[in-house]
Amino acid sequence: MSKSRPVYTPFGLDPAGRAHLVVTSLDAPPEGIEDSLANIEVWTVKHNGPGVPAPIVAGLRPFRSTTELLVQLSHRLTRETAGLRLYAVGPEAFIWDAYNAAIAAGLHPSEISLHRAGPFVRRVYCSHCRTIIEGVPVNIVACPSCEAALFVRDHFSRRLAAFMGVKVDAEVPGEIPEAEVFTS
Amino acid sequence: MKLKIEAIVTLTPGIRKFTLAPVDGAPLPRAGAGSHLVLEIPGSGRVWKNAYSITSATEAAVYEIIVRRVEKSRGGSAWLHDHAKVGDVLEVQPPQNLFAPQRLAKRHLLLSAGIGITPFLSYLKLPCLAYELHHCCKPEDEAAFRALFPSGPQVTLHTSRNTLNLEMLLKRQKLDTHLSICGPESFMDVVLATAAHCGWPSTKMHKESFGGATGGESFVVHLHRSGVMVNVGREESLLDAMEAAGLTPSSLCRGGACGECKLPVLDGVPAHHDHYLSEAERAANNAIMICVSRAKTPELVLDF
Repeated sequence: MSKSRPVYTPFGLDPAGRAHLVVTSLDAPPEGIEDSLANIEVWTVKHNGPGVPAPIVAGLRPFRSTTELLVQLSHRLTRETAGLRLYAVGPEAFIWDAYNAAIAAGLHPSEISLHRAGPFVRRVYCSHCRTIIEGVPVNIVACPSCEAALFVRDHFSRRLAAFMGVKVDAEVPGEIPEAEVFTS
Repeated sequence: MKLKIEAIVTLTPGIRKFTLAPVDGAPLPRAGAGSHLVLEIPGSGRVWKNAYSITSATEAAVYEIIVRRVEKSRGGSAWLHDHAKVGDVLEVQPPQNLFAPQRLAKRHLLLSAGIGITPFLSYLKLPCLAYELHHCCKPEDEAAFRALFPSGPQVTLHTSRNTLNLEMLLKRQKLDTHLSICGPESFMDVVLATAAHCGWPSTKMHKESFGGATGGESFVVHLHRSGVMVNVGREESLLDAMEAAGLTPSSLCRGGACGECKLPVLDGVPAHHDHYLSEAERAANNAIMICVSRAKTPELVLDF
């Protein structure tokens, strides 16, 4: 596996934290949230769910979309105080978006933990026209903007939270590898 | 470099401010906020090398330091209080910085006690530093310290333990705040423990550690490569003793913080007093910071 891909640990709460905010782009909290730790809030995404802002029930707050969740996350973090730990659970694009929002709010990487979960889909960055393509499940995809057929490399940008897409036969014109569904 | 004492101001009976200017009028090296100087101070039969934080601004034409007379002075602060006079020329090592402000932080929580205020005085002279300072001192020193601070709500003086609620203070800080601490070891230990209890990660705190060189039982050091045996007395550090024997081990902060004076241990067990070696490195028993650490065994053998 390419070293440009981050390595993730299994989900677990940091007992040194005073409060815990778990955000996931999936519709259910991650397995393994211990009941023993007080002060846990979990944000999930239930597409087409209740309107904005959904109330917190039993520490659980559903959002209509990851976009809504991430916007609210930035607001929330500006009001938070020291001692908070942030956990992001989901596909790489989502967890690194959450990471970048947290860094902008002043969290240190040691206060953030990321856990990959959910479908193996990738956000792809077209290196020819800078278009971002969401939810790509296969390693060859057509750029909807410049129409280039892109090969999705195992090269991940934490800043863009995206994988690099380069014209599929850029090295040898005409040579097109077999398409593969992502399994990681 | 040689610096001349240009002015001495007595702030309290035990605290004096010294202005140090270049002898030849040449511009001084810039000293970023948090920097310190090592002064070579004459003593009876030896030279004391003491580190003092620079309290003047980065762009100042002179260096200012503030020196508290240590009760059981190793010799340096007593000389500066009893013998130093305007016009004296001292050998001074150029400024080093082991306590620079954390530049990525948007806000700074500065906590100091006693003479531990000194590195923060240069912080406060930075343009646009968003900070909140809490300084603890004895009631009799309050007026002298207050005169050193800009007036405003960002500075609070505490002359009694009851007025500083550390836990409340640490719990209300925003996520973009970095904690910096300077003061007696016991003060810093309490702050660090309280911060950890409130969920602060160690990555968002840093402390200044000077004056760690306390005496202890005397011991003997064999310097393997030099073939020299040095006796370390009760009131001197291993580094001082080696220098007095004419050796020149490298060193920087002389307070167990920077790691510059680390030497390999070949035999014997060091008593570690530094802030540099990790627990694992201490357990490995193969290195010592000679500026502050001593020996648990009567003899040490070092690779020097």
